Amino acid sequence: MGIISVENLDRLFWLGRYSERVYTSARLFADSFDRMIDMDMDNYAAFCRQLDIPNIYSSREDFCNRYISDENDPNSIYSNLMRAYDNAVVLRNEIGSEPITYIQLSVYDMKKSRVSRAPLVGLQKVEDNILAFWGIVDDMIENENIRNVIKIGKRIERLDLYGRLQMNRESIVREVHRLAGRIARTNLHYDEKNLKELKKLAEEEQIDYDRVVALADTLRKD
Amino acid sequence: MKTLQFHYHMEIAFSEPVHSHIYTLKCLPQTGGAQRIEKCVYRITPGGRVQESTDSFGNRMLYGTAQEEHSLFLVDVTGTAVTGVQAPNMPQDTPDLSVYRYRTPLTQPGRRTRELLGHCRKRTADMSLRDKALVYMEAVHGSIQYGKGVTDINTTAEDALALGSGVCQDYSHILLALCREDRIPSRYVVGMMTGEGESHAWVEIYDGARWHGFDPTNNVPVEDAHIKISHGRDYRDCSINRGVFTGQAAQRQSILVEVTENGGTPA
Amino acid sequence: MEIELTRRAETVNELLARYGVKFGIYKNNEFKEQLFPFDTIPRIIRKDEFAYLEKGLKQRVMALNCFIRDIYGDKKIIRDKVVPEEFVYISSGYLASCDGVLPPRGIYAHIAGIDLVQGRNDKWYVLEDNLRVPSGASYPMIAREICRKSSPATFETYHVEDNRDYAKLLRWTMDYVNTGGHTVILTPGRYNAAYFEHSYFAEKTGAHLATGSELMVEDDYLYFVDYSGRREKVGAVYRRISDEYLDPMTFNEESVIGIPHIYDVYRKGHVALLNAPGNGVADDKGIYYFVPKMVRYYLGEEPILQNAPTYLPYYEEDMRYVLEHFDDLVLKDVAEAGGYGVVFADRMTAQQKEDFIALLKREPRRFIAQEVIDFKDIDIVENARRVPRKADLRAFVLMVDEPIVWKSGLTRFSRDPDSFIVNSSQGGGFKDTWVLSQ
Repeated sequence: MGIISVENLDRLFWLGRYSERVYTSARLFADSFDRMIDMDMDNYAAFCRQLDIPNIYSSREDFCNRYISDENDPNSIYSNLMRAYDNAVVLRNEIGSEPITYIQLSVYDMKKSRVSRAPLVGLQKVEDNILAFWGIVDDMIENENIRNVIKIGKRIERLDLYGRLQMNRESIVREVHRLAGRIARTNLHYDEKNLKELKKLAEEEQIDYDRVVALADTLRKD
Repeated sequence: MKTLQFHYHMEIAFSEPVHSHIYTLKCLPQTGGAQRIEKCVYRITPGGRVQESTDSFGNRMLYGTAQEEHSLFLVDVTGTAVTGVQAPNMPQDTPDLSVYRYRTPLTQPGRRTRELLGHCRKRTADMSLRDKALVYMEAVHGSIQYGKGVTDINTTAEDALALGSGVCQDYSHILLALCREDRIPSRYVVGMMTGEGESHAWVEIYDGARWHGFDPTNNVPVEDAHIKISHGRDYRDCSINRGVFTGQAAQRQSILVEVTENGGTPA
Repeated sequence: MEIELTRRAETVNELLARYGVKFGIYKNNEFKEQLFPFDTIPRIIRKDEFAYLEKGLKQRVMALNCFIRDIYGDKKIIRDKVVPEEFVYISSGYLASCDGVLPPRGIYAHIAGIDLVQGRNDKWYVLEDNLRVPSGASYPMIAREICRKSSPATFETYHVEDNRDYAKLLRWTMDYVNTGGHTVILTPGRYNAAYFEHSYFAEKTGAHLATGSELMVEDDYLYFVDYSGRREKVGAVYRRISDEYLDPMTFNEESVIGIPHIYDVYRKGHVALLNAPGNGVADDKGIYYFVPKMVRYYLGEEPILQNAPTYLPYYEEDMRYVLEHFDDLVLKDVAEAGGYGVVFADRMTAQQKEDFIALLKREPRRFIAQEVIDFKDIDIVENARRVPRKADLRAFVLMVDEPIVWKSGLTRFSRDPDSFIVNSSQGGGFKDTWVLSQ
């Protein structure tokens, strides 16, 4: 399909971002959950702080329930997955029915993990499906531009999350380079000045995390 | 027979600038029936590239998109019309009449319409169609008071009768509702009248040979003081201006029509 | 003989869920997506039986096309008094703006959905013609794909005509009238009941799926605008939005999902619209009565398919019959659709009857009366048991140089054992429709 409208270009980008947000936050949650089992019951407060989401949770149990699957909590993994779904479901024409099934399956798995006492098992399936989604996007979508826009969304989101989490320098440097290498190959409008600055920041000894997050979020221009 | 100079002026003032203003105008009078248009010039500002076409009722349409930002949209039509022409070789449109015989949502009759009709019918037995139309027109003229702001573009004939007040559009709809209950082919007409004011509306009735105009607002048959712009089943088929635009703006439309007899100069 | 497929219901439903085979529904003003319940027992139509239906459907859709062309053209059928003119001009589906506008290649009903039921006597009756935006073909198409995956053995045993060629037929139908340019499927958007179908057809036909805001008119041509501002001319639009919302400059001025001036482009012959605006004049419940007469009038043939026995209270003779046999009849308000406005006289209270008859006498043109057909039930599986349910069949007829009948169809059933209403919006489910190839 040669022609992509403005609306759908935007949706492809956000599909990339939200699928990444679901994947990475599920993995981060898994780490935190593990600690909360018997080591640090209140670890969720630090988790919220790091991800810069409001700590509206009253207890470990409340956090585990709502952060995973509360549809009324805009920061829950479920809410982010539904945003990915909402974008995917209107992109059948651009990406095809098969890739959409993996997002759809994630939604079902997420609903199942809602009632589980071992939520990581269900979340693992969600992660598997997101990975399968990215795999099929790479494998099945012929239009390079479409593939690239989804991937740029994913890279920008990851850099944003890693920046917030103040991940180690190597991770940030790797993500900046992956993003910089890809973005030049798309038709997305982006801010070259910001990209240059990002690359420079990645060369510093001390990473300016706030600046990295700010630059990642403003890299794409409409 | 009269030779009339006309100037139709419409302006839409927007509270904030708008752009991508898409419009369709039915504002051009045509030669036909008892009028001959000898000169007609239009100007649309800002108009973009203007397309022309004809709708299914035979009315001329102008349409296009004003892309640039604007706070004022102006339409001017000027020209010369000869009215009250009785020449036998004038083009007469006798299209499918049946479409004009049946009610539309705006001319849907109700209890009041039927009462008014019952009243008229007592006096119109054995009358010719044109005489009958005169009786109906007079009855409609007396059925409501002229008054602005009581009705709007969605007011039906029956509603206007209930409200007891209305403008030329309402008078016309009531007359149409009566005629159509009798299956008389009748249509809504938009046009201009001699003097200064807004655009006007009246009714045409087909008597088996040609269309005749009746102006229920003024209670006069149409002779040579009216210039017709368009016709249709009711107001909705004839709206002079339709438009959609991009921008958060309120719009105010004003219309000024000037029609003078030859010798006068329209401003 | 047991069909192996029916033992694979769980797998089939899992796959249907995986592919998101859904329709949208509004509950308390909130949009919800629901899976469309599927029953694995297929409706099976024998080869010879389908050949008969095919012939009848082609004939019917040909006649309906002739009728629409005539109504917006010469109006011969009115002049010859076969159809009373007021049935045409008072119909809400009649659009005066279509008068005198001839669509590309003179085709109006490109995609027709004809609803049939089978009586206990095995006789088929047409219940309704849908010539505006009939939906539903996507469901049996994807269901077949999934059934074949779930139970290959079934399709080794039974010789069933493949129905997955629908996309190819649809593409052909769109290309046949294309005036030069891209092909677009126009959807009102994600929150339309049939959005799944719109996007599925776009994917399978290779057409562009677009909402009104992605298309624009310039200088009497229609364009699709891409993100870089590049314009691509559009030559055919399979529009899945109703006439009144299609173009705010000609139809409903309030419409925000249409494309301003698309109708003017169409009027000048610069784009094809499938189906043509104005088709509603021919699938009106009042006009339905006249379809067999149209077949005789335009084609000079005897109608192959029968209507359900129908009376028009508009005719005095029919009114008399309706009043005499009131309790045996079903009454339909011609202005309503989707299973609404249908009443069974034997289920009315005495007071309701009295009120209804008064209304009928006041507005005879508003109703048709039909004999209640003794439906042939079809089995469905419910709680592991086979139970009989009412079902209809929507057959799809596509118009190219001649009509093509899709060798399948949408079989809808009512889940409520007492209901005759099979619409998905009222909780019904669907089945695959098999046409046997030998």
